[in-house]
Amino acid sequence: MSATTTHNYQLESARWSTGRNVLALAALISIVACIAGYIQDPDRFFRSYLVAFTYACAIGLGAFFFVMVQFLSGSAWSVTMRRIMENIMITLPVGALLFVPIAFGLNHIYPWTNPTLINSSQLLRAKSGFLVDKFFIARTYGYFALWSIWIFALCRQSIKADDKRSIQQMRVASRWSAPGLFLVVAVGTLAAYDWLMTVEPSWYSTIFGLYYLADGAVLFFSVMILICLGFRKAGVLDKEINIEHYHDLGKWLFAMTCFYTYIGFSQFLLIWYANLPDETQFYRHRMPGTWLYISLSLPFIRFFIPFFTLISRPAKRNLKIIGFMAVWSLIVVYLDLYWIVMPVFYPNGPQIHWLDFATLGAVVSIAGLVFWSRFRRHAMVPVGDLRLEQSLHFENA
Amino acid sequence: MSHSPDPALLIAQIKDKLGIGEDKVYAVMGEFAEPEELVEAGRRIRGMGYTKIDAMTPFPVHGIDEAIGVPYSKIGWIAVCGALAGITTAQVLIYYVGKIDYPLIIGGKPLFDFTYSIPPTFELAVLFTAITTFLCTWGLSGLPRLYHPSMNYRNMHRASDDRFLLVVEANDPKFDAQKTAQDMRSVGANDVEVVEG
Repeated sequence: MSATTTHNYQLESARWSTGRNVLALAALISIVACIAGYIQDPDRFFRSYLVAFTYACAIGLGAFFFVMVQFLSGSAWSVTMRRIMENIMITLPVGALLFVPIAFGLNHIYPWTNPTLINSSQLLRAKSGFLVDKFFIARTYGYFALWSIWIFALCRQSIKADDKRSIQQMRVASRWSAPGLFLVVAVGTLAAYDWLMTVEPSWYSTIFGLYYLADGAVLFFSVMILICLGFRKAGVLDKEINIEHYHDLGKWLFAMTCFYTYIGFSQFLLIWYANLPDETQFYRHRMPGTWLYISLSLPFIRFFIPFFTLISRPAKRNLKIIGFMAVWSLIVVYLDLYWIVMPVFYPNGPQIHWLDFATLGAVVSIAGLVFWSRFRRHAMVPVGDLRLEQSLHFENA
Repeated sequence: MSHSPDPALLIAQIKDKLGIGEDKVYAVMGEFAEPEELVEAGRRIRGMGYTKIDAMTPFPVHGIDEAIGVPYSKIGWIAVCGALAGITTAQVLIYYVGKIDYPLIIGGKPLFDFTYSIPPTFELAVLFTAITTFLCTWGLSGLPRLYHPSMNYRNMHRASDDRFLLVVEANDPKFDAQKTAQDMRSVGANDVEVVEG
């Protein structure tokens, strides 16, 4: 027991440097590729970049939400993993930087930047006060500013608790967390409307914000599982994050997959039932050509396959199976975001382009560098948390 | 009511059927002050070859199922069956009523479609699962019952307060009142008692 309590849970600096070098190299290569792609085909660059940007922000939003859930619920099971969650959460403010290219390329992505289109329809004219590029950019920076205040406050308390080892930081973090949950959902909904829904400016769906956040939750737990498995492979935190913790991450991945389905189906059902042209256009635009096959396969790849794979207890306790489902979820959520954005530009079917991979690589490796940088100075586990011992010995009933 | 049986005799018959009564031994029971001690003792008792072991605790103790060899609950599979029954019922009902028995076009919608049949299907699946799971949990736990021989144990009331009880039942093939009581003491149990039915 004394061995665990004296353990400082620092990542070895040699290992840290290797990780940083790999991420920096990936970032460098993909950024160069993005610049080349931008010069060659700016339209395509911005469209691919939007998908990659929303993908990375969804991960951060998911982490942000669930870190606060851990603080509020006072759960012990997640304590050994909470520092990793926090470090994913802190990649969300980087979104403000990652948004810069979009701010300069609005007219390549958003049809509402074209005044003749706005004037052509009564519906769009009514939205013209909202769909203004300067206002759009200001809104997005407002979202990031609000989120960042909360994220830095939470991280500060968590780091402070490492030395102080008192319950006081926990209390302060919980007080931040309750309004913070509201902030994720309310502001996240607005962000999803702005970034993704206005790609089709005449379409609207009130549940769309939750759709995006549900994607974020699925992504977050997939990323958590894969990061923990990566550390495990390297022999880091392999005793601290054991099969019981993976089991719980698996339960969350399963639950969030169901939540996504619930939201996705609710959106579809109401639009299908009301059958109003303004609303049905979203699904109509995803029916021509090969988009139809993707639309029809979404319920299977995003619900039936993960649901029946993850429903049983032995499956969630099998590291190979949950590792596979985490990779699977990362791919299908990307496909889902791609399916939301791309049909507007490529109505006859998806056209896969190398820029899709380059932009995703750039965004993820930049966020990854921020994530990784936190491991240099701080412990990998919230060592001051009073429930750490409980979490280390936690078992599923 | 000309010929009423002797109530005492009747109770004795019922008790006999349930395997309880003063002449019958239910189990050897002992108590522990800490959950960790209970888990450790349970593991050792099981290691001695006992198979009919039970534990009674004021709150769920992690690891006790594995320690005393309680198999994983079947309730999950029962729940799946309940869900499948609910899904089938809902789909058949909606299809039969809407398409066969009383076809009526409402709002230009098809007589049957998966889209609008899914919400009631989901609800019925949840309802059937809840009812099935509830009833089967009672059934599998032998509820409801008004009497259980473990109540005869002196410290039974503390199982819902501050003590962790370990039980080796009399129907264990290795059970021998004297020997088992000794074994219980050897793994550290306090207040070991041979509890009558």
